[in-house]
Amino acid sequence: MSGIEGHQIHVRTQVLVVGSGAGGATTAALLAEAGFDVLIVEEGPWVDQDTVTPFSLDQMDRQYRSGGVTVALGLPSIAYTEGRCAGGGTEVNSGLYFRPPLDVVERWRRDFRIDGLDVDELESIADEVEQAINVTTVPGKPTPASEILRRGAAALNWRHSEIPRWMKYPAGGDAVTGKRQSMTRTYLPRAFAAGARMLVETRVDRLVDNGLNVTAHVTYGDGTGRMPGGAITAAHVFVCGGAIQTPALLQRSGMRSHIGRTLAVHPTVKLTAKFADEVNVPDDVPVHQVKEFAPDLSFGGSASHSGLVALALTDEWRTFSSAIEDWRRMSIYYAAITSEGRGWVQALPGFRDPLVTYRLSHRDREVLRSGLGRLALLTLEAGATEVYPSFRGAPVVRDRGDLATMQQRFAASKASVMTVHLCSTVPMGEHRDRCGADSFGKVHGADRVWVNDASLLPTAPGVNPQATVMAFAIRNARRFIEQQQSQQSHRSSGATQNGAQA
Amino acid sequence: MRSVPSAPLVGPFADRLLALDFPALEPARREQAIAFAVRRVDGLPSVMNLGVILIAALFRGLLALPGNEAILRFFARTPLPLLGEYVRLVRSLGYAYIFETWPDTRPDGSSPTPAPVEAAPADAVPNMGGTA
Amino acid sequence: MTDRWAPPTVTVVTGAAGWLGRALVHRLLADGRDHLRVLVHTNEERAQIPQGDAIAVEVGDIGDRAVVDRLFAGLGSDEVVDVVHTAGVIHPKKVADFFHVNATGTRNVVAASAAAGVRRLVHVSSNSPFGTNPHPTDLFRQDEPYHPYYGYGRSKMEGEQAVFAAVTAGDLDATLVRPPWFYGPFQPPRQTTFFRMVRQGKFPIIGGGQQRRSMVYVDNLVDGILAAELTAAAVGKGYWIADERAYLVTEIVETVGRALRDEGFTVKDGGMRLPAIAGRVAELGDKLIQRTGMYQQQLHVLGEMDKTIACDISASTAELGYVPKIALYEGMRLSIQWCVAQGLEL
Repeated sequence: MSGIEGHQIHVRTQVLVVGSGAGGATTAALLAEAGFDVLIVEEGPWVDQDTVTPFSLDQMDRQYRSGGVTVALGLPSIAYTEGRCAGGGTEVNSGLYFRPPLDVVERWRRDFRIDGLDVDELESIADEVEQAINVTTVPGKPTPASEILRRGAAALNWRHSEIPRWMKYPAGGDAVTGKRQSMTRTYLPRAFAAGARMLVETRVDRLVDNGLNVTAHVTYGDGTGRMPGGAITAAHVFVCGGAIQTPALLQRSGMRSHIGRTLAVHPTVKLTAKFADEVNVPDDVPVHQVKEFAPDLSFGGSASHSGLVALALTDEWRTFSSAIEDWRRMSIYYAAITSEGRGWVQALPGFRDPLVTYRLSHRDREVLRSGLGRLALLTLEAGATEVYPSFRGAPVVRDRGDLATMQQRFAASKASVMTVHLCSTVPMGEHRDRCGADSFGKVHGADRVWVNDASLLPTAPGVNPQATVMAFAIRNARRFIEQQQSQQSHRSSGATQNGAQA
Repeated sequence: MRSVPSAPLVGPFADRLLALDFPALEPARREQAIAFAVRRVDGLPSVMNLGVILIAALFRGLLALPGNEAILRFFARTPLPLLGEYVRLVRSLGYAYIFETWPDTRPDGSSPTPAPVEAAPADAVPNMGGTA
Repeated sequence: MTDRWAPPTVTVVTGAAGWLGRALVHRLLADGRDHLRVLVHTNEERAQIPQGDAIAVEVGDIGDRAVVDRLFAGLGSDEVVDVVHTAGVIHPKKVADFFHVNATGTRNVVAASAAAGVRRLVHVSSNSPFGTNPHPTDLFRQDEPYHPYYGYGRSKMEGEQAVFAAVTAGDLDATLVRPPWFYGPFQPPRQTTFFRMVRQGKFPIIGGGQQRRSMVYVDNLVDGILAAELTAAAVGKGYWIADERAYLVTEIVETVGRALRDEGFTVKDGGMRLPAIAGRVAELGDKLIQRTGMYQQQLHVLGEMDKTIACDISASTAELGYVPKIALYEGMRLSIQWCVAQGLEL
C-alpha cells in the first residue's frame, strides 16, 4: 500500500530490509519465501553487471560510496570502500570465497555469549550458500598475476592455494571469463520471485518506533539534488547497511549502546611488482592467496589497471614515476593483517555521513611491516625485477639487501593503508558489556529492529567475510521466521490481534 | 547539511599541482582530470568533505599570495600531517584518472599518441545509474 | 634422508676459543677428527682449547686478511677441507667492531675458503639479520626478508650476504646455520649472570612475559652444524637450529628456576616484572648509544627482552635430519652442572 501526501510518499510493509548486500538480500529472500511482505530499500542504484568494467573508476563512481574515496581517520588514516548499489559489496568485491572459519565462530560463541550458535547448522547453511552462489575454482588458466603469487609461495615453501569464487565460467574458461554470482543475480531475484519489492536510490535517514511499528524516514533520489522525503512504516525492520551505515543509522535513531564502538577491519599495505613479461590484467584480481602466516597475515593480489598502478606509485612518485611506462609488466599485491586495533563510527548531528576513525595497535604496525617485507620477498622469488612499496620514503627493491632498507624505512604512519572487510560495529551476543545486538541480531533494548549484516560479526574473521555474513544472516532470518510463525499460531489460537500485522 | 561546491576552491589548486607534476600534459586532459577530482571531492562523505573544503580554502588563499609558486612547490614536496593529506588526495585522484583514461601517458604527462580531439569518456559525466 | 658426506680430512674452525667454538672442537675431537686447523683471537685464548697433535692453532684478528690466509696456508685440492666459521662478536665495546669481525671477518673467510677450494663452508649466522618477530606467536620461516636488529644484526647480515654472493657466483659451496639464543657448557660470564638473576628472582620479565624465545642447547647446535656440513644437498640455504618450539619467557624463567632447585640451589620465585614500556625505553637507549658508535650490553639485552625471537625448524629437520636431542630442562641442568664443575659462582 502506498500513497502520496504532499511531498511525502508513504509506504507500508510488514518487513523493511534496509540495504541489499550479502546480509540484506539473503534476509529479504528468506523472509519473502516464508510469506512475509518484504520491502527492500537500497541507497544506491541498480547497476547491471554487464554495463560496467570491473575495478574501473567508472565502477567506483556508480557502485561505491563516494566513488570509493572513504577514509577512517587516524595515524595513518585508512582508506576503505563500501559498495553502494543493489547487491552492495557483493557486486564489487574480489569474489573470493571462504567458509565461515569455525575456530573463530567458536571463539565468538564463547567470548560474546552467542546463544543457540550451532556450528553444524552454520556448516549446512554454508553448503547451501555455496550452491546458491555457485562457488567454484577457475576451470581454465588463472591470470599471470595470480600465477606469480603461486610461484613465489611455492619457491618459499609457503602455504598457498587457489581460492574458489562465486562465479560462473563457460566450460574450460580462464579466470577473466567468470560471471560474478552477486546478489543481483542470486538472492535478489529470489526475493522478487517470492513477492518482495525493492526501492533503489532510497536512503533511510532515521527509524522511529512508535510502540506499535517502526517508521523509517527516507530520502528518495541519488543524493545529487533536492529530493522528496518520505516514510515507510513497517512491523519489523532489518538494518543491513554494512558495518559503517548500519551503526550510523541506529545512532541517528537513538540506539547507541555498544553500537559503532568496535569497528574491526583487515588493514592492508601494498606494493607494485614489475616483471620481465606482461603480467597486468586490468579487469580481474588474482585467485591465489598465500596463507602461510594466517590468520595474522595473508597475501593476495589487487586490481591493477593502469590508473591503480599510478595510484600505488604516488606515495614515492618522484623516485617511482618512470616505472609507470611499464605498467603492463606490473601488478599490485597486498598484505592483509588481522588487527588488534579498533575503530569508531559516530553519527554527527547535522552531517549526512558518520565520522569514522581507526587506531592501529603497536603490534598491528609491526605485522604490517613484516607483512610488506615478506610479500616483497615473495615477489622477488617469483621473479620480480623491481618492487615498489606503497609508502612515503620507500626504496625501489631489487634484491634481498634492499629488503632490509625497506623494512628499516617503513612506518605504518607513512604507508597507504587500506581495507575492505569492515565488521563488528554491532557485535551480537548476550554479553551486555560488549554486544549491541542479541544472539540473533535483534538490537538490545529495541523491540522491532534487527541488524543482519557484517556489523554483527563480533570480530574481523581473518578471511573474506561474505560467506560468514551470509551464513549468519540466513541463520538469523530463519530464527525470526520461526519466532513469528510460532507467535502467529499462538495468536490465532488465542484470538488476539496485533495491529502491526499488515 | 548540504555540501559547498568544491570547484572554485579545489579546481585552481588541482590545476597548479597537476601542471607542476605533469608539465607536458595537454591542458584539455588536465581539465578533465581536474573535473574528475572536483567531482570526487563533492561526493566525499560529509565530514571529510567539510575538512577538505576548509583546507582547500586555505590553499586557495595561499595561491593568491605573492611567491605562490614556491609555496606550491613546498607543499608538493613536503608531506605534512593533515595539510599534506589534501595534497595527497588531489594527487591520487588526478593520477588515477590520468593513467586510467590515457594509459600510455609518460611520467611527464606527455603522450606518445596525442589524440587531436578527445571525446569525453563516460566517466566524466555524472552517472545517474539505472533503476530496477 | 639426503646424502651424507664422509668427514673431511681437514676441518678449519674459526672462533675456536669462543663458547660455540669450544663445544664444537671438543665434539670434533671426540668424533675422531684428527686434523683441525683453528683460529683464536689472542695468545691467552690458546689455553682454552685442547692441546695435541690433532689440532693446529693460528692466532690473530679474523678481520685481518693476512691472518686468515695463514689459517688456510697450504690447504689445497689434494685434501677434503670443510670450514666452520663460528667467529663473531656479539657484545663489543664499539659498533665498528661488529663490522670488523662479523662482516669483514666473514668476507675474509669466504675469500680464503674459495681460494683453497674447500668442500663446504658452514657459516654460523644469527636471528639478528631478521630482527624480531612482529607478534608473539609468529615464527621465522626458513626464508625471511632481512630486517637487521641494530649494529650486530647489520653486521651479521653483511656476513650472510658475503656467503650467499660467493655461492651465487659459483665460487664456493657454503651453507648457513642460524642459532637463536643458545646456552650450555663453555658459556661466558654473562650467562652466569643469567642464572644468578633467575635464582635471586630478579630476571626482568617485561610486559607480562608473553613474548616467546626459541632456544638451543649448545650440543644440539653442534649437531645442527655438523648436519649442515655433511649434508650434500644443503647448499646456499639458511637453517634455523633451535628447539622444536619457542618458549614463553615466563616458561624459561620457571624452567631454569626448577633446574636450579633440582641442582640444590635456593631460588626466589617470580622474576622482576617490568611494564612493557621498559623494554621500549631500553631499546631506544640502545639505538641512541649505538648511533654514537658505542655499545652498552645491559641496555641492548634489556631492549631485546620484550621481543619475540622464534623460529620454525621444520626445514632443518626435513633437509638436514636435525632433531634437537637435549630439551630445555635437561639442558639447563647440564649447564648448571658445568658451571658448578668450573667453580663458577651462581
